[in-house]
Amino acid sequence: MPRLSPRVLVTVSLLLLALAVLILSQAGFLRPVEGLAIRPLAALQGGIAPRLAALRALAASPSDVATLRARNAELEAEVARLQQEVITLREQAAEVDVLAALLNFARNAPQNRYVAARVIGSDTSPFLRALWIDAGTDSGVARGMSVVNQAGLVGRVVEVYPTASRVALITDPAEAVNVRLQDSRADGVTSAQPNGELRVDMIDQDAEVASGELVLTSGLGGNFPPQIPVGQVISVRRRDFEVFQQAVITPSVDFENLEILLVVTNFVPLSTQPGP
Amino acid sequence: MALLVLIPVSVLLVILQTAVLPSFALVDARVDLALLLVVAWALTGRVVQAMILSLVAGLLLDLLSGVPLGISAIALMAAANVATLAQGRLWRAHQFAALGAMLLATVTFYAILGVVILLIHPGTDPAVSLARIILPATLLNLALAIPAVQLAAGVERRLYPPKVAL
Repeated sequence: MPRLSPRVLVTVSLLLLALAVLILSQAGFLRPVEGLAIRPLAALQGGIAPRLAALRALAASPSDVATLRARNAELEAEVARLQQEVITLREQAAEVDVLAALLNFARNAPQNRYVAARVIGSDTSPFLRALWIDAGTDSGVARGMSVVNQAGLVGRVVEVYPTASRVALITDPAEAVNVRLQDSRADGVTSAQPNGELRVDMIDQDAEVASGELVLTSGLGGNFPPQIPVGQVISVRRRDFEVFQQAVITPSVDFENLEILLVVTNFVPLSTQPGP
Repeated sequence: MALLVLIPVSVLLVILQTAVLPSFALVDARVDLALLLVVAWALTGRVVQAMILSLVAGLLLDLLSGVPLGISAIALMAAANVATLAQGRLWRAHQFAALGAMLLATVTFYAILGVVILLIHPGTDPAVSLARIILPATLLNLALAIPAVQLAAGVERRLYPPKVAL
């Protein structure tokens, strides 16, 4: 029998190991290990994310950088210190704006209870649209909880660990949200494309849907609380030979600039799974 | 010994991939730092070490992603194997041949991930995925392929200095 090279042996062994991990993970046996591994990774992410935000703020102020260059050597240290202070204050002011908006949003829906969480990373796969937040079971977050910000619905919690959670955005292709169009009162279901485009399908052919119409969660299906803004209709596709019409909407949330989010902790999504 | 250096580097790169790179995306794609590391190290001829790195980096990627745990590890191993089919001889003949290896590796990596994503989310449009994710990611990986390979070769020479007969 021909001898296998070390490369082949190692490759086959590691592939088998990866397959074993895959099977055990899918069966749920690795859940405690995943939780242990996520804890330091989330801490690292949490450490890097705010520093990156500070660097981005610095890069976004080219005129300040030009001014700094123009200063003479004696003033440079002082200017840098002041610049840093300005950036910190701007960051804090922006954070206060976000928190004020979130507070205003929370006041408008006093029936809900919220946990605020900071975005600490995004999904490593470009095919999936998800975020990591720095709140988990330790803060009372549970799988299925809705996540919002001052503009509207962001997504829902799909994985929870003690100190971090993964939030699938409503623009993730796997997510579907039951929605109602505010003026026409038509119901529909969102479907997202890999490029982040959001469509509302299953709209009744008889409904008079217009551009600019506001789209809210309907609460049907029991996955999300009702009356949360989802987006606004930008175009409608209506063909006589189709059963339903379709609308393309622009999400009310700016998914590129999410910093602080609210997890709705007192809304328990209905489960369609059979009980034990 | 090299793995003692490379494994922490892979952890750092995966963290950067999730916390930093989304800010520097091209269309919807970003550079695959873990793939660059694994392929660049495999091209130095240390294929067995690259396989171990693939497993570690792949599992970390999947931990921070919705992809089933283990899939990225398998995809990275396949990518590293495909990239080193010529056992490094081809790319050593001309450093631009590393571009070919990186192209093959990226295509293999995304082919495996794409199939899995299609199985998990059947509604995913393959054409949109190709145009907005796979092609831009391939371009980004190719843009960084030569620096990554040169850097890996430099590190490899530092960790394994050539033996000189006296």
